[in-house]
Amino acid sequence: MLTRRTLVGAGLAFAASACAGGFGACGSTAQRKPDARPIDALLIDETIETPPQMAAFIESAARTLPVVGLQLDAAAYAKLIGVLGKSRAIVGISSGATLFCLERMAWDHGFRLTQRTDHCAGDACLEDVAAILSGARALAASPLILVRTYRPSRADGMLHAWVMQKSASLPIRQGRREV
Amino acid sequence: MKLPPNVSEADFTAALKEFAAVVGGQWLFTTDDDLYLYRDSYSPMWDEADERTASAAVAPDNADEVVALVKIANRYRIPIYPISTGKNLGYGGAAPACAGSVVLDLKRMNRIVEIDERHGYVVVEPGVSYFDLYNHIQEKGLKLWIDCPSPGWGSVMGNALDGGVGVTLAPYRNHFEAQCGIEVVLPDGRMMRTGMGALPGAKTWQQFRPGFGPRIDGLFKQSNFGVVTKMGFWLMPPPENFTTGVVTIPRFHDLIPLIDIIGRLEQSKIVQGLWMLSSPTTGTRGDAAHGGGAPKIDPAILPVLTDPDGVNMDRLDAAAQAAGLPFWACEFNLYGPKKLIEAQWECICDAVGVIKGARFKLNEIRKLPLPADELKSLFDVGQFGIPSLRTFGLGPMVSYEGEDVVGHIFFSPVIPRTGEAAIEAMEVFAAIARKHKLPYPPLQFPSSIFERAFLFAVGLPVTRSAVVNAKIRDVFRELVVIATARGWGEYRTAPAFYDLIMETYSYNDHALRDFLGTIKEAVDPNGIMSVGRYGIWPRHLRDAGKNGR
Repeated sequence: MLTRRTLVGAGLAFAASACAGGFGACGSTAQRKPDARPIDALLIDETIETPPQMAAFIESAARTLPVVGLQLDAAAYAKLIGVLGKSRAIVGISSGATLFCLERMAWDHGFRLTQRTDHCAGDACLEDVAAILSGARALAASPLILVRTYRPSRADGMLHAWVMQKSASLPIRQGRREV
Repeated sequence: MKLPPNVSEADFTAALKEFAAVVGGQWLFTTDDDLYLYRDSYSPMWDEADERTASAAVAPDNADEVVALVKIANRYRIPIYPISTGKNLGYGGAAPACAGSVVLDLKRMNRIVEIDERHGYVVVEPGVSYFDLYNHIQEKGLKLWIDCPSPGWGSVMGNALDGGVGVTLAPYRNHFEAQCGIEVVLPDGRMMRTGMGALPGAKTWQQFRPGFGPRIDGLFKQSNFGVVTKMGFWLMPPPENFTTGVVTIPRFHDLIPLIDIIGRLEQSKIVQGLWMLSSPTTGTRGDAAHGGGAPKIDPAILPVLTDPDGVNMDRLDAAAQAAGLPFWACEFNLYGPKKLIEAQWECICDAVGVIKGARFKLNEIRKLPLPADELKSLFDVGQFGIPSLRTFGLGPMVSYEGEDVVGHIFFSPVIPRTGEAAIEAMEVFAAIARKHKLPYPPLQFPSSIFERAFLFAVGLPVTRSAVVNAKIRDVFRELVVIATARGWGEYRTAPAFYDLIMETYSYNDHALRDFLGTIKEAVDPNGIMSVGRYGIWPRHLRDAGKNGR
């Protein structure tokens, strides 16, 4: 039986293959490892400049995986809440300012930041994300991630590739209800 | 196990067990991983012994569960600290004011109880954020606007109870003043409704604020006399149009008559939108009168603005004159029917026109809502009643004293709405910023966000270095001393400074603090509710307050 999860997993394999074949920045990606935990969505900070390779990679990924562009506004918030509600693991590329906000909103839905890399160049972030999507890099949480800090800024020019995963704890928020 | 103050491990364990029985074990949080989320990300005491961290957190689903939890807390004398969404970063976040408190996390109570387009109000629970309310209105196609702070991810109710403000029209900007009706669980576990809500079956709870008898709603703002579980707010009809009008005036001291004139226009309710001061000498906002785009800073002006000894206003005034630049710009946000905007603008021009050299430009009047693509390109959209987090993109503070800046705290004094006070505050606070090499713009201006006074908020950097944070706390104390000596008090502050600020409100040997203490004793004899919030302590923990935690 085809489930959403297996569909996403298959799609990722396609996306990763396309990436490996077509985009230099994704050269390290390969066929998705069969035991790798699937990623449910790719979140991209729309406030950062997107290098051409990243744009192509995003376009490819979007064929099979929800790709959510984020502007930190009300519309993006609604999209984000939808994604968090349906996902168990998400990956993204963003500035520190956007990551700071996303991380706190994701907390309310039971997610924790489990991986983060810091780069000044978008290409390096792209390589990280491609490796995660393809399963070449494991999703194991770093125990030190909570004590590591990053600047909640855009002014420093830093970009982050990151992973958030739903923790064992239940989400604190289940979506707005009406009486 | 971290324990609340004056509570035994056995009692705490028993209380937690009873809390879990009320809400379900999955909504009781005691692990380090979960409690990390209740730390104040912007705490100026991060990882220090005095950082105010929670001993546990419990998340009820409804007001009945709140009642049950409060009764248990009373029985075991467990201090509980209600938060709405805990997003008031810079003013405490989700962390308690008293270390060891159990955070009462109200995020799950996120129902929009009632929304009435005809009468323009909404009743919300604590967990409803500005994003939630805005999106609900959009989804339902209701003809209503909200007024939201920036950033807009916080709780509608929590922001109001904390004294928060927005950026649209004056009657809605002060969020506590725009509330109408409160439902609150008192510290003894009894539920109460204020105003007309005290009348069973009342039809006008959200329409008539005074109610019958004393108006006590204010007792629940910046206080610790109960857990507010529902709150009504007045909303505005969407304005038909929007534009900005820019006034420029040539000389530095023209600010004094300008503020007086605008004050009269506000008191007459002719000016109702937010207006913002700036100086074209710095190339910042208010430059629309110069043909759009930021004006280039004249080479003769730049050295004045970057003088290490501070900006000398006389020199800057002369340099601006020589460069043909007006010293001040004032940008008015104007809302409403086109003919109302034009009439308002005509009144502004007539009134400000008495200042020699004043110039005026009314920008294109735009029909609302603006196209989505256009909104997307704007830095902030709060003036259109749309919440966002775009303010986080500002991030001008990257490092301080060699340490990464991870957040900020606000020093937020209220100063008189006069040009004289504005000039004095600009000079005084710029001198402090220079002295401590704080990240600070060459010129900082007061905000007109309140109706009859200025807010002069100074953002101070927070790092993860205890040494640097200790320095920032010292700077904060210095600012408080300087402001208090001038009769300028703070309207809001971070928990680390609750007692410091309450100490400054000392008229007649602290009559206000003593009165609040008397109320505290009467309504919360066990001292369990939001201990220490805004410097109000129960008798048995007052020494903790005096000692700063």
